[in-house]
Amino acid sequence: MSTPTTTTYEKHTLNTKKKSQWLDVWKRLKKSRTAVIGLILILVFLMLALFAPFIADYEKDALGMNVKERLQSPSLTHWFGTDEFGRDIFARIVYGTRISLFVGIISVSIALSLGGTLGAIAGYYGGRIDNAIMRVLDVLLAIPTILLAITIVAALGASILNLMIAVGISNIPGFARVVRASVLSVKDQEYIESARAIGARDHTIILKHVLPNSMAPIVVFATLKVASAIMATSSLSFIGLGIQPPTPEWGNMLAGGRAYIRDHMYIVLSPGLAIVLTVLSLNLIGDGLRDALDPKLK
Amino acid sequence: MLIPVMLGVIFLVFFIISLTPGDAASMILGDGATEERIIELRDDMGLDDPLIVQYGRYMWDLLRGNMGDSYSTGRSVAGEIVQRFPNTFKLTVTAIFLSVLISIPIGVISATKQYSLFDNIGMILALVGISMPSFWTGLILIIIFALNLGWFPSGGMKGIMSLVLPAFTLAIASTASITRTTRSSMLEVIRQDYINTAKAKGVSRRKVITRHALGNALIPAVTVIGLEFGILLGGAVLTETVFSWPGIGRLMVESIQRKDTPMVLGCVIIFSLSFSIVNLIIDILYAYIDPRIKANYT
Amino acid sequence: MKDHILEIKDLHIQFNTDEGVVQALNGIDITLERGKTLGLVGETGAGKTTTALSILRLVPRPPGEVVRGSIILDGIPIMEQSEYEMEKIRGKTVSMIFQDPMTALNPVIKVGEQIAEAISIHQKLSKEKSLAKAREVLELVGIPGNRMQEYPHQFSGGMKQRVIIAIALSCSPKLLIADEPTTALDVTIQAQVLELMKELKQKFHMAMVMISHDLGVVAEVCDDVAIMYAGKIVEQGSLEDVFLRTKHPYTEGLFNSIPNIDDRKAELIPIRGLMSDPYNLPSGCPFFDRCDYAMDICRTEKPVKHSFSDTHFTECHLYTAQPEFSLKSKKTKE
Repeated sequence: MSTPTTTTYEKHTLNTKKKSQWLDVWKRLKKSRTAVIGLILILVFLMLALFAPFIADYEKDALGMNVKERLQSPSLTHWFGTDEFGRDIFARIVYGTRISLFVGIISVSIALSLGGTLGAIAGYYGGRIDNAIMRVLDVLLAIPTILLAITIVAALGASILNLMIAVGISNIPGFARVVRASVLSVKDQEYIESARAIGARDHTIILKHVLPNSMAPIVVFATLKVASAIMATSSLSFIGLGIQPPTPEWGNMLAGGRAYIRDHMYIVLSPGLAIVLTVLSLNLIGDGLRDALDPKLK
Repeated sequence: MLIPVMLGVIFLVFFIISLTPGDAASMILGDGATEERIIELRDDMGLDDPLIVQYGRYMWDLLRGNMGDSYSTGRSVAGEIVQRFPNTFKLTVTAIFLSVLISIPIGVISATKQYSLFDNIGMILALVGISMPSFWTGLILIIIFALNLGWFPSGGMKGIMSLVLPAFTLAIASTASITRTTRSSMLEVIRQDYINTAKAKGVSRRKVITRHALGNALIPAVTVIGLEFGILLGGAVLTETVFSWPGIGRLMVESIQRKDTPMVLGCVIIFSLSFSIVNLIIDILYAYIDPRIKANYT
Repeated sequence: MKDHILEIKDLHIQFNTDEGVVQALNGIDITLERGKTLGLVGETGAGKTTTALSILRLVPRPPGEVVRGSIILDGIPIMEQSEYEMEKIRGKTVSMIFQDPMTALNPVIKVGEQIAEAISIHQKLSKEKSLAKAREVLELVGIPGNRMQEYPHQFSGGMKQRVIIAIALSCSPKLLIADEPTTALDVTIQAQVLELMKELKQKFHMAMVMISHDLGVVAEVCDDVAIMYAGKIVEQGSLEDVFLRTKHPYTEGLFNSIPNIDDRKAELIPIRGLMSDPYNLPSGCPFFDRCDYAMDICRTEKPVKHSFSDTHFTECHLYTAQPEFSLKSKKTKE
């Protein structure tokens, strides 16, 4: 039944519709001052991460200890001061950006692919499959997210890989729920029915028709989750379960500087601000996206 | 729902913890232990039994209030948890009360004066609030209010004054997100037809908000309060570490560092149990504020 | 001079939105005698609900803005009252029934209390006495008093609308505004609710503004009829004037697009096109591009009021140009 002409026609209209939809979203997003601030901020952090080697030398500035220069207040040579080992805090923050963004994005990708698959299956098939998946996720949800991550790292041992696995797994239930909900919301739409009517297979329908049309809430959720994954990474590192010193990471920098706050408060100021600004910028973008995708909620 | 979910949680956590590398018997006995002693203890503890058997044994003991003994101190895990639990309870309950007391009025005022200066400032603060890692906020509060102003102690648990900083630290994130939810659900509610009905019969502006809008807006807010409690329990791990608060969270971090698996297991279980109980309370609370749910029960 | 319950003069209301200015009302004049019923007819977006809300001064501000005009309700200039004074007027002098009974009742408050609330506000009665009176009103609209303790979700749509009518009538207002009170209901329930409203109107001797797009409903209950189009009243008169001596092409179009029970074979003639973009109203007659009788002047100049009698007038260039003009419609009798 499905002649090439009808399918290309269908594809064509769907694609233009989608394209213009995202263009609209972008237009609305640009109008939101807070979202633009968020975008600029995150762009700055991405640049820092990307061009870190041009800003400071990893071995010398971020790792190299220099007892003579320890605990110096911010100055022109050391913008954010130096830490208890005489390392330049600015250089360490710049390299810390790499780790935070990397871990944040990878762990959300893990959660999105695993949780998303579970959610899509549960939402699309419904019934017993849905029930079984959701009951298992209920168990995961009953453990507060960060505690689940802590438990996993505690068992597997602290390393960057285990950290990403732990943060990723602990976010699976959230993604599964969001993906399931949005799949449910488009599943019974007529274009899905018609795809089924022309004999498309389940996985084609899910990947080509259901997911692209239920993308909006997932994109928003993922953006906000990168923010909380970065927060979780630094939290775990702060209690010694994440990135291990001397590798510079914002959370472990705070843990190391903690002992010196009485006389050298700057030592905890800038790493903390780095976390706040990154997380804030992602939250701003996420909020802006949500408003842009759903203008009626504003 | 509570019991099957808790059984699942315990099994899951038991499984994760069992992935911990290293031999419990040799850890308990220390470096100087002979091979025979270790084998003997392994046998005693049943460490060579299949995991499911070990889980069954653990559950059997747990039902009788026995959560095993600490590997490092030899003391009863249950005893230690019972001793520490009230401290965590005090901290988290104070924090959630603070959050609710602050966030609901701010959220309501923000919504009724949408886009006003109050609303704008409130929403920016709320966004910053959810972007601040609690361990960093804690350090900053210590620097300002303990080390510089000397108003509150910087850590430990002596009297009501020592509760102030940790409770506030813990409350910030949940205050911010409950404020945001209250505002957005309030915004949605005040556009409903029944608000117009109330106005049309001459109800004063104030009563329209307090009597007609708030009751409906609280329904989503209560959901978030429940979820926030979970995040708050996770936050307690960090806050207790920063403020040397002798609660379950700090116990858990210390136990992880000492590789004291039974203790870690106990802590996660007690956290998850608390979270599940809170959600149960929230469910019951629902029936009180939403008559439509009550109808479903009867 | 007759005793008017409601006098609206030259009312202009606009909504200032992000996308531009919507001119919702562009010079509305309405007078209504005590005890009489006016039917306000028009398509969605014509400004019927905005007119109704403006009488209670409940047009949301922002984005709504009253540009100019006056509303006198029972001798009270509505625009000059404080918010506190308005609260005393709403529910007592004028009440309103909203379109969708499914959403017009507060889901978390018992229906008895929702009725009693208005009574206790305006009659300063104790809680027990208000509840007792609420029970009487509830029974008046045909709901057993023992359902006072129930919540809205336990009622059917028609029952909900009865509760809403009870709320509106609880303080015997002098003017009742009903915004499409039967549109959301099943046809059989519609007739019951209409009958109830007619009965109660007579009992309390209220004036009523009945908003509807259903000419059948209007013919059933109204004394006067005003036809709205794009924020203006294009024709107004007694029921007979408008139904039998139709003057405006839009009114004619409305009649041609409803099924005729007497002549079931009669062809339905829909009005072509859509209502003008409210962000960008044309400079001349807003009905110009849909009108079969359009002339050149209609494109450029706004029509002015043309009276046929004390009560019947229309805003259309046809009659200024040719005073003897008459619509050639096949359905309009006479």
